[in-house]
Amino acid sequence: MSAQASSSQSSGFGSSGALSHVFMQYPPLRCKIPGARNVFYDDGTKQLIVPTSDQVFCWKTTPFNPNVTPSSDLIGEGPILSIRYSLNLKLLAVQRSPHEVQIQNRESGDTFTQKCRSESERILGFFWTDSPTCDIVFVKTSGLELFLCSSGIRSLQLAETKKLNVSWYVYTHESRLVLLASGMQCKSLTGYQISSVGIVRLPRFDMAMAKSEANRKPVLAAEDIYIITVYGRIYCLQLDKIAMQLHCYRFYRDAVIQQGSFPVYSNKIAVSVVDNVLLVHQVDAKVVIIYDIFADSQGPVSAPLPLLVRGFPRSNAAASQLMGQNVEGLEGKDSNHGEIVIYGDEWVFLVPDLICDIANGVLWKIHLDLEAISSSSSEVQAILEFLQRRKLEANKAKLLCLAMTRTIILERRPVPMVARAIDVLVNSFSLSIKTGKHQAGSKVERSSTTSGSSVDGAIGKSISQVETFEKSPIQESGSGMHDKSIVKSSSFTSDSEDNVSFAENRGKSKNVDLSSSEQNGGNLVGTDLSVSEAQPSVVRPKDPGPGSTPLRIDEQQESLITSAAISPDDLCCFVFASVEEEMAGDASYLVAIIVEFLRSANLERLKVPSNIYVLMIQLLARNENYAELGLFITTKIIEPSKEVAMQLLASGRQNFQTKKLSLDMLRELALHHDYVLLLVQDGYYLEALRYARKTEVNTVQPSLFLEAAYASNDSHHLAAVLRFFSDFIPGFKSTTEHQTYGRCLAEMNTVVTA
Amino acid sequence: MGMSAASSVSEAMKLCIFDLRRGQHEGQELDKILYFFPADLPFPTQLSVIGLSEGLITFTRIFSPEDPCEVIEAEKHSHVFYEAERDIWMVMVVEKSDSEAIWRTSALRSVLKEVHSLFVMFHGSIRALLDREPSGGLSRTHLYYFIMDYLSDFLSGKKLHLPNFRDSLKERGMVQMLTIGREAALEVQSLVRVLKSCAGCTQSYSLIMFQDLLVSTTLSPDDLINLFTYTVMRLTPNALSAGASSWSYLRKGSTTSNASGSLLTSSNLVLDPYYSSRDTSPVGVRSYQVVRPLQHEKWSKGKDGFLVSDIWGTEVGSLSPSSPTILFKQTEERMYLCAFQHRSLTIILFIPVTSVHNGEQGLSVVKQQILENASPKIFKVEEKLSRGWDGENAYHVSGYRYLLVDGDRCISRASPPGKVTTLAKDSLVAMSKLREEVDLEKSRAKCDGSDCEKDQEICIRAKNGAWVISRLTRGKELYMVLEKANETLLYASEAVEKFSDRYCSGVFSL
Repeated sequence: MSAQASSSQSSGFGSSGALSHVFMQYPPLRCKIPGARNVFYDDGTKQLIVPTSDQVFCWKTTPFNPNVTPSSDLIGEGPILSIRYSLNLKLLAVQRSPHEVQIQNRESGDTFTQKCRSESERILGFFWTDSPTCDIVFVKTSGLELFLCSSGIRSLQLAETKKLNVSWYVYTHESRLVLLASGMQCKSLTGYQISSVGIVRLPRFDMAMAKSEANRKPVLAAEDIYIITVYGRIYCLQLDKIAMQLHCYRFYRDAVIQQGSFPVYSNKIAVSVVDNVLLVHQVDAKVVIIYDIFADSQGPVSAPLPLLVRGFPRSNAAASQLMGQNVEGLEGKDSNHGEIVIYGDEWVFLVPDLICDIANGVLWKIHLDLEAISSSSSEVQAILEFLQRRKLEANKAKLLCLAMTRTIILERRPVPMVARAIDVLVNSFSLSIKTGKHQAGSKVERSSTTSGSSVDGAIGKSISQVETFEKSPIQESGSGMHDKSIVKSSSFTSDSEDNVSFAENRGKSKNVDLSSSEQNGGNLVGTDLSVSEAQPSVVRPKDPGPGSTPLRIDEQQESLITSAAISPDDLCCFVFASVEEEMAGDASYLVAIIVEFLRSANLERLKVPSNIYVLMIQLLARNENYAELGLFITTKIIEPSKEVAMQLLASGRQNFQTKKLSLDMLRELALHHDYVLLLVQDGYYLEALRYARKTEVNTVQPSLFLEAAYASNDSHHLAAVLRFFSDFIPGFKSTTEHQTYGRCLAEMNTVVTA
Repeated sequence: MGMSAASSVSEAMKLCIFDLRRGQHEGQELDKILYFFPADLPFPTQLSVIGLSEGLITFTRIFSPEDPCEVIEAEKHSHVFYEAERDIWMVMVVEKSDSEAIWRTSALRSVLKEVHSLFVMFHGSIRALLDREPSGGLSRTHLYYFIMDYLSDFLSGKKLHLPNFRDSLKERGMVQMLTIGREAALEVQSLVRVLKSCAGCTQSYSLIMFQDLLVSTTLSPDDLINLFTYTVMRLTPNALSAGASSWSYLRKGSTTSNASGSLLTSSNLVLDPYYSSRDTSPVGVRSYQVVRPLQHEKWSKGKDGFLVSDIWGTEVGSLSPSSPTILFKQTEERMYLCAFQHRSLTIILFIPVTSVHNGEQGLSVVKQQILENASPKIFKVEEKLSRGWDGENAYHVSGYRYLLVDGDRCISRASPPGKVTTLAKDSLVAMSKLREEVDLEKSRAKCDGSDCEKDQEICIRAKNGAWVISRLTRGKELYMVLEKANETLLYASEAVEKFSDRYCSGVFSL
């Protein structure tokens, strides 16, 4: 399956001629069932649900696989207003009317119905939760009703109610946040976050709305409100059609703060989030604008460009071979449609990154084209920061970062600019190391070098990344409550052999936290309302039985590649070493860049591999900057190591001072054997002997000393060396060396006397 | 006033420069004299000094053509010889009159070396000047002003204070460095790269000093020593604030405000006779425009932080002073010298004259670049270095009075002068004698032509019981006086070992 996916992918890349930053990958998931009445998306379990008259078909959307086989459940006939699986997939809840919800046990087939007590209230909707105090929440016109649902009992137990007049509501499972609208204009909103940590009530707040005329007050509609989750933070976007603005609110535990607005160029918009990047679809204009609301800047990442389908076979021949069996039946139909209509009227945008084309019965997943985004901007620093934050295609982002860095160096961009780019990469890696991802980082490197980036893997990995990211708020605040929840979540996972990965995640999230807190200024830091740690429960539905275990393991391995962070080793290997060959003529420029890199790494207390120092020495020696090289060594900018000493020795053949630096370094590193050996080679055999005696080096062969002394033609010295070995090496007198050089000494003496 | 000052010091020291290729005919002897101090000495006396020197050079060349005469030790005088350029000799005659007049020859010779080397940096070689104007007027004028300005640095009161035994823990012609941590070093290097990019040409060089200490440079060692010396003499904050307490390793209290010019007599009086003695005197002395780079109180810090001086005159057609230029030793390339100062940090950029278009205009572009791009880094570096700076006694090691010399890299470090003055005279005299011995030994080794640098160690017990020690190993030298370690040789030797391990990363440990 993966092979198919990747091959179709590559063909898609080949055929995409038009420019776009956001695309949908062909083939889509086909969910057309004859006799289907409607399409539902259950974001709690991330399943697409298509009911027919007496049964429901249900496709898993994570990991996104166009060829996934739908599962099906038989349900009784009747109208379906809304349908959701419980988070453990054991129960299925169907809202049959504004007054009743039917709950069915999927194993036993038992059903029971929960009805409103009074006729005056209506059920607006419902959702399953992972809260310890309730399992399912009904949103009624009179407020929230929270129920416990214990197996075996054929009814729901009311746990709690929240009284409130509700006009409409918005909920996403991702954020665990339900927003309840009330008031004449429906612009007064109350929020509850119902997660495994418990229930958090947000302060009531009003949305800002521009008035069109003096007397007419606009009414806020549910379609104009979007809850989005990026970087583990929750925002609410509100479309103000009169002002043509998309207002952005950020949720904190005790406050809701408006954080600016995005301009809107279309009467109809839609919002998606891919890999923590906000996509605002300007539906009428048929373009997408990309925002990365990590930073303070409200500016778009790049220019608006259309959403495209990639990999769509113009001639169906190639594609049909690639398609899986279960789609075959639908294939012909699809080809009749010919062109895929982008932003069709029947498009439904699902949280966070799916598009359901109800008319054609297909589900698309939205992808970012990192390559296109990165090549569309000249602000290298900003783009690198953007890429470094990408988790979905971390590997690709990383390769792009490396390529960009290489390019700006090869283009001889001004040193300060390259320095800023390197700063971004180093800081990003430092952040990832602080959060315990560095091992993962090294693995990334290996995988990136060996295998190309396969989208399939990237998707799988990205999902797990998203989750780990979302989990981050868990660690955010060290309150007792949170601690408890951590324990809980890990116990959840412990039965699915998941402990290790969780430990990692935990470490990581701390830092995410840190970064987010930096941005929101003091008093709000601790109280940041985050996607609760309930998130682990999202994992749960994915491993319902032992059968899915292997998949999980795969995912876990993939999930190691969670960050685009580039280690100093990677930078040295894939940037400095590789550009060095191409810019042999301009060593001083490259040295300047490396100095900036070292400075940056030093500020982050990162260790750099010694081969970068070796490279530096080579560069400086090539330009005969020996004085500078000496300065670099004495100030320890080039940190001492044996490799460095050996390179100094090699470069020191043309410059005796450099050679001395190498000797000094060997001595300071206590590499006595090498030091003694070099002293002898340089003719300082007496000094070498003295040093060898002091440091108890006896691994250097006596013959080297004797040979050196003999070569100096000084009989006194030769005698002294002979005497040294006779005294200090037991049994030396009986060796052939002793005899040989004893004879030499005698000859020398006779020559002298003669 | 100049006259009288000059004659009062005339007894103690004579300094002459003469050219063996000139004045070889009877009656033209004066022509060979390029410089004589004291200038007001009667010509017969001048000629007799030079005659003796010339005779000795000629005589000793018979035995040692390459390295003729180094020194004459007479009963009352020492004559120190230095062949500055081929056939151009500098001879210094010092008296052995009083108890302070205990000299070390190579210390005196290094004065000659220094002044010549600085002269060449600013004016080019003497031979080149002579070739340019064979009458010698140009050379004489330049030498006169230059050396007079130079010697005024040695003037304390009315006496010339030449390096004697009290300076035996100093080494002229060396660079003193600031020791900095890796982080600071990286910041500095980052700044160096930015400076290079500001200069806008690949053949530019930089010199960064903190107080009177070198922080970083891209200069070759030869040029470095000259420029370091000049910077410490005239450009660092200490040098600029003349009269304020200065603690330079090179010379202390030398830049007193009234020192400048007191050695100078009216130039016509001094220089005219050389010409009147000649048949053809094509140009008068006054017509030479002389640049006097060593003149005191000529440098000042401008509002923008750049150091300015009118020493080099003013640009034609403008009021702003022209930028100073110097000559590099190895490449003989003329470079602009562009100095910037921020508090204790002095930054000098050297840019080839040929690579700057439009002269001053081009330079002002570079200056603008520095202000715009490098100044944040400059401030940062200055702050960092200031924070890590322990003051003038930073390199004092209690109990030790030392001098460390790294001959290969031309770097030295010594106990601060204030600490050295606490030593007894006996100790210092003994050290001076010991160094004389070591100098002799070194020059002998050089004569032998062996490229092997032998280790050497000498420990002497001075009259006052102090240990006076020297240790040489592979191009590095350590001189040390231990006054309070008056027990055994073993004790002294261990003290050296400890010092070596602690402060010299074990270079001198055996």
